[in-house]
Amino acid sequence: MAHPSSHQDAHGDSHHDVSSELEVARNMLRLRLSQMIINEMYKKGDFKVPIHLALGHEAIAVAMDAIMQPADSLVLSHRNIHYNLARIRDLKPEIDEYLLEDNGIAAAKLGSMNLSNPKHGLVYTSSILGNNLSVGAGIALAKKVKQENGLTIVVIGDGAMEEGSFYEGLEFLKSNELPAIYIVENNEWSLATRIHERRCYIDVEKLAASFGLGYARLDSNDVFEYIKYLKHIREKSIEAKTVYVVEVMLTTLGHWMLKIQDPPGEKFINYHAGPAPTINLIEWPIIEEANTDPIFILKKHIDEEKLKQLSSKVLEFLRDNIK
Amino acid sequence: MKYIEHVNALIRKNIADVDNLVCFGQNISAGSCISGMTKGLKVKPGSMVINTQNSENSLVGIGFGLMLSGVNAIFFMKQLDFLILGIDHIVNTYNIVRQENPKASFTIVAVVVDSGYEGPQSAFNSFADICSIARVPGYTVTNKADAEEILSSKLVAPGFRIIGISQRLFKTELIELEKSYSNPNSEIFQYMYGKDATIACFNMSLPYGLELQKKLAENNIHASLFSVNAMTPIDWHKLLDDAKATKNLVILDDSKSANKSCHMLMADAYRTCRLENCILVERELSPKWFRPTSDAFEISYEKIIAQLSQKHH
Repeated sequence: MAHPSSHQDAHGDSHHDVSSELEVARNMLRLRLSQMIINEMYKKGDFKVPIHLALGHEAIAVAMDAIMQPADSLVLSHRNIHYNLARIRDLKPEIDEYLLEDNGIAAAKLGSMNLSNPKHGLVYTSSILGNNLSVGAGIALAKKVKQENGLTIVVIGDGAMEEGSFYEGLEFLKSNELPAIYIVENNEWSLATRIHERRCYIDVEKLAASFGLGYARLDSNDVFEYIKYLKHIREKSIEAKTVYVVEVMLTTLGHWMLKIQDPPGEKFINYHAGPAPTINLIEWPIIEEANTDPIFILKKHIDEEKLKQLSSKVLEFLRDNIK
Repeated sequence: MKYIEHVNALIRKNIADVDNLVCFGQNISAGSCISGMTKGLKVKPGSMVINTQNSENSLVGIGFGLMLSGVNAIFFMKQLDFLILGIDHIVNTYNIVRQENPKASFTIVAVVVDSGYEGPQSAFNSFADICSIARVPGYTVTNKADAEEILSSKLVAPGFRIIGISQRLFKTELIELEKSYSNPNSEIFQYMYGKDATIACFNMSLPYGLELQKKLAENNIHASLFSVNAMTPIDWHKLLDDAKATKNLVILDDSKSANKSCHMLMADAYRTCRLENCILVERELSPKWFRPTSDAFEISYEKIIAQLSQKHH
């Protein structure tokens, strides 16, 4: 599981092994706490740009960051905060972008839903469902023309999978023997509609197989498993010049119950975007004591007390970072 | 030489020495090669020519992906109507890409289906409409001179643009005119000088303007001939200066659009010139547009000649 890539991290440390267990855990906590800090500012009304928080999506973002190599390209969608935070390893430039400050990641040119960061391999981000799939295919073709040995990773949600460009992108990548990974973050929701409420069931594995492509379903929320698996398919994809469709089952945390009067009761409100009213910044940032929360899953690998100490240090650093 | 042979020769000439280029599109190196437009494409080693799948929306996105990665791209498209499937990228993707000021080139070369009889779904011929939706630079090509200037300077150049080729002109003899002026961005061309009238041609109407110029000359009315090849607004002071001098402006626009670029010229002309005649020749808004019908631009040359003769004499 050892992964030798080195980065300058939020602590100013460099040349450390990012996939060592503690480092991975620190990145997970950093993503969670960073989003919680942003959420607190959001609740206060600090941001004008619409932000789609990705609480509960941390495992796939940290894993992707851990396996990415310099020649790889990441292509994102409107819910991109987790990948941006994972790659930049800093909080202030992200917040500055949301505040539309000149010091922001994109100098206030992109805001949240289109936020990319080419210096860190995030080459394009689209807020239009399915739009990034074909741009990603072009980026993959460019690597072939330039004879670069990198991988193109396109991240979408289960909603974008319903667009025709999902099918068209796979077709183009396969026809031109281009290595790529499609990450489908499947939280079963498209805004306020569950999959079964809006469409028929799609067997993504069979769909991928019909193109002769690889498929995997990740549902453990275990960042260490994800790193191991993604590293493996990154190599396979490049070697075989093919595409893997990776369906990542996850829960976007931050839902709340809306009290209704007629009939009396409560209605489940899925978190989609904006501030998450029920989420508060806490030093030990578990949101759900369940497998739906990837921070909870960290306890399978690392002692809880150790994680709490680490979390406390990360939070202290982040607070200093944004002072 | 036919119009399309000239366009094809210029395309081949202007891609031959380009590094890092992907030419792509449906049937661009198979069958008729888009009625000869992309026949015999040859690129440098390392560059590619790809006959693609039928996915116009994705193909536009792929062009932007190539461009963002520093690879030059040309998407050859059989019909401008098909490009409507790619509007998402032309508007939304381009709005992001343009902020990066990419050094690579992405050009869509689309055939404007203005030859008629193709049916309801081939009625879209207004090139400026598709450009104006996201302020995309776009250029029409109607004759030898503008084809040479536009394809040489725009086919592969940093940034994104669309180039429109007229299907109506494909098999016609190439119009050879001597260019006397074009602005620095090849948006407006002047071909002739005349002291009596100013003819301004929009969209693909230059052949009609040329015919009018000849008929006027036969009646001893000498007209300047301009073609506006790009989406407006543009700097057309040269055209307006000419209209100020002749005091007679004839505007031809063969596009089927409710919001035509030529209306902007007319407004500018009324505001800045003291005209004796301002004649607008445009298509009548008609349900016929949506049926298999001739796309010929019906112009009453006699009427124009009569109107200008009255003032002239």
